Amino acid sequence: MTAYTVYMEQLGPLLAEWSRRMGVFVPVQIQEALYDFVPWSEHEEIAWDYDVAYNSIKRHFFPPRENLIRFDAAACTATPVFEAPDQLLFGVHPYDLKAVNQLDQIMEGGAPDQNYMRRREKTVIFALQPQRVAATAFWGSMGSGHVDIGFDLFWTKISPNAFYVEVGSPRGEELLLACGDLPEATLAEREAARRERTRILAEARGQGLKYPWEETPRLLARNWDSKLWRHKARRCLSCGSCVLVCPTCYCFEVREEMDVDMKGGTRFREWDGCMLPSFALVAGDHNFRGQALERYRHRYFRKGKYIYDKIGELGCVGCGRCVRACTAGIANPMAVYNELWEAEQHES
Amino acid sequence: MAKKPKIAFFDFAGCEGDQLQIANLEETLLDVLGHVEIGEFREVRTGGKGPYDIAFVEGSITMPKDEERLKAIRAESKTLVALGACATIGGINCMKNFLGPGVYRPEVYGDRARWYETYDARPLRAVVPVDAEIHGCPIDRDEFLRVTKELLLGKKPWLPDYPVCVECKMAGNVCRYEFGELCLGIITRAGCKATCVTEGARCWGCRGLAPHANMDAARYVMEDRAGRSRLEVQDLMRMYLGYTSTTL
Repeated sequence: MTAYTVYMEQLGPLLAEWSRRMGVFVPVQIQEALYDFVPWSEHEEIAWDYDVAYNSIKRHFFPPRENLIRFDAAACTATPVFEAPDQLLFGVHPYDLKAVNQLDQIMEGGAPDQNYMRRREKTVIFALQPQRVAATAFWGSMGSGHVDIGFDLFWTKISPNAFYVEVGSPRGEELLLACGDLPEATLAEREAARRERTRILAEARGQGLKYPWEETPRLLARNWDSKLWRHKARRCLSCGSCVLVCPTCYCFEVREEMDVDMKGGTRFREWDGCMLPSFALVAGDHNFRGQALERYRHRYFRKGKYIYDKIGELGCVGCGRCVRACTAGIANPMAVYNELWEAEQHES
Repeated sequence: MAKKPKIAFFDFAGCEGDQLQIANLEETLLDVLGHVEIGEFREVRTGGKGPYDIAFVEGSITMPKDEERLKAIRAESKTLVALGACATIGGINCMKNFLGPGVYRPEVYGDRARWYETYDARPLRAVVPVDAEIHGCPIDRDEFLRVTKELLLGKKPWLPDYPVCVECKMAGNVCRYEFGELCLGIITRAGCKATCVTEGARCWGCRGLAPHANMDAARYVMEDRAGRSRLEVQDLMRMYLGYTSTTL
């Protein structure tokens, strides 16, 4: 695989060139110890050592609200609406990239989600090797510490002044060489990048599941009736924060609104989530997950079993955003799965 | 062409801030008004009489004689819409309810308190059936437009039944609880686009409790986890949410 060495001072001109071609988003510190992706400008200081972005990057392909159809009520006609700006996400961590890869797989399956796919095709992803592990993260134990696909370039900081940049696609390579040729990375630099990855993975593995993640679907299958669900769900605010910040959750609600002239209108979608009380409400006022306990349990089964049964990987990448977003402190896949696992160890 | 539906605006105890929001729609308002005939609308014009297809009623009921007037409006309106926090949930007028008439009547009217008949503040639905609610203090103009359009189409207006947290997540806001600050977004009905938090403040609960609000969990979050005192939490909740069967 081709790899180049890029020095810090070469980045300014490159970023300027990329931002002439597309919207560029980079991680910056937004408040003390909080980071998020923002549009790049030369005044933004990129937080190369950010631990986790406050918001998941799914909003770049699956916006919180998105128009789907414009319709004319009098003529009974409808036109699909597609918005897909060219964009570059620079600095995506592997666990977030794994989430994007999973979303791609799910959105393409069945009837492909055209709005998602078009945005995705227009998006360039430059992954970045994390240098720190967030206190709430557990991606090291979820099989999300390393990802081989989905990036156009993969950046690893190997010295205060240099990056080892692995090429993942021709589009990525073209962008990297947009301001002129770069030296190919040496063996020593490749080795430096490998050491950096190993170091951070070892650190990440320190906080996580107490058992191999592959056991999670079977663990859950045995624990449908666990008391844990009721115990935790008592404190559930049914606010949906855990699923809305999740990088792999993709549920939405479709609604319509007429224009003020009452002749035409727009059909749009908005984020929805299985933790919200009326998510499973159907005609006749029947709600097949009317209780917080049922919704709470559903989420952990969804992340730990249903997605696995569908595509062979967990629906949780271990980013830890839900742990942070839950004001009641009950959303934590690692803690829930570990608690179930430990309870079984005591039984046997 | 079918006859245009006739709409009217009325107000009780409140600041008329919601009707002002509507008047502030300016040109868009004129477009909407093209579909209707206006009866009473004090902020914009005077005069007009019923019956009405849609009556928008602002303000709380704070005197026994308000009840007669509201019932008369109800009787000549096909659809009655509560407009703004005072009308939908009682709002800040209900703060006086925690004092009791023995305190608030002399406080307001001094030694002439017995000249004025007032009682505990209440929302419209405590007196008459209400067909739709447009929440907020003040109301959100876009929501007013949407609900009005839905009513004109004969639809049941859509109303979010989830808390403000959903809209904060959509806006990408940093949660107030990251800094141990109080925020009622965890129990308050959404629909405001989380505007107060987005602007750097917190949620005061002006849209009322979300139907599934978990008050025990909310107290645990505010008192045990954020470490705020029982009284501080109570003061915040009594500001807008006073008219409720929940103990505040």
